[in-house]
Amino acid sequence: MQIVGGINLSRDLKGLNPNLVLKEPLTPRLEAVVMSNLKFVIIFLALSAFISPPFVLRTHASSQVVAASAIEKAEGVVASAYEAVLEAEEAGANVSALVARLNEAGDLLTQAHVSYRRGDFVSTARFADLCGEIGEEVRIKALELRDLAIEEAGQRFRWTMIESIVGVVAILCLSFLGWRAFKRRYFRRVLGMRPEVGSDES
Amino acid sequence: MNLEDYRTIFAVVTSGLILMAAFPTLSMVVPFPRSAERFSELWVLGPNHMAEDYPFNIRVGEQHSVFVGVGNHMGSSSYYVLYVKLRNQTQPLPDLSNSLPSSLAPLFEFRFFILDGGSWKAPLTFTFLDVSGFENSCFVSRMMINNVVFSVDSPSTWDSENNGFYYELFFELWLYDTSLQGFRYHNRFVGIWLNSTS
Repeated sequence: MQIVGGINLSRDLKGLNPNLVLKEPLTPRLEAVVMSNLKFVIIFLALSAFISPPFVLRTHASSQVVAASAIEKAEGVVASAYEAVLEAEEAGANVSALVARLNEAGDLLTQAHVSYRRGDFVSTARFADLCGEIGEEVRIKALELRDLAIEEAGQRFRWTMIESIVGVVAILCLSFLGWRAFKRRYFRRVLGMRPEVGSDES
Repeated sequence: MNLEDYRTIFAVVTSGLILMAAFPTLSMVVPFPRSAERFSELWVLGPNHMAEDYPFNIRVGEQHSVFVGVGNHMGSSSYYVLYVKLRNQTQPLPDLSNSLPSSLAPLFEFRFFILDGGSWKAPLTFTFLDVSGFENSCFVSRMMINNVVFSVDSPSTWDSENNGFYYELFFELWLYDTSLQGFRYHNRFVGIWLNSTS
């Protein structure tokens, strides 16, 4: 049995066809021809495997899974960005710029969903990834804005409280002084009207 | 009026002034209920941004356009998804009494965010691409919405009462619910009837 190029032809051919029994060693010329054909068959089989329906379907299914996962991830990022924007809005921040940016993410997510429905999974993943990037950017900015708004609100609350306290104290003082002045004037007037009544309430 | 009456007036006026001075701080601490009703608007306008000239008679390959809009009065920024669906006369519409969406699969969708008190509007163009007819039935195979082609595969039978093969292009509004962490049907839809006879 000859071994050509590290391949035991007899064993390999038996491996391909179990019923094949090599009673006599092949001649070198015949072996070369068989070898050449075998290589061709192997290359052909490999190529066929790549373009065969199961392979294409498997690849298709795989890219569908990737696309679906990209959409799911992008949706999660956009949802958390939206929730961060809501928190910032509740804290009193102006979120109109963030909402405009979120709308860009929403457009991309729309395109990702539409591409997915059409079976264009490459575009789906691309749109979803872009959407996720914008969503993440918005989420970070919204959280910053929320923290800033909370800080500003705290400061505003402190100032408002100080103003209220000063206002209340001023009103109380003015009222007290006003009441005293009024009372004095009232008694002067009453006493002036009735000089014969000599009561002094103050 | 005697002095006691004047004292009462003084006390009332002073209390009022104190309340006025304290109101800015109180308003930050005490949560005042918002009395406004929370809702969203949904509308469809014709090609001239008016509630007229809606597309009705649809020819194969002819492009038609409408504008869809949503208004947000929910008290905060809202996240919406608007599904575009096509149905024939026998297919289900959303169930308003039970707040259930139509079971039909959406063809197209819009995802958008609106500030409180704001609105959103988008153009929607559509074309019936492949329509076949046989005796009393019509079959729309493909449709293009905003320059994207979709398989529709929707049959319709002849409506002898209204003389036509009728389809309804309708829009379903969904709202993102932070407590659900997902979208829920917002119980609003609007649609236009199309006749593919011609």
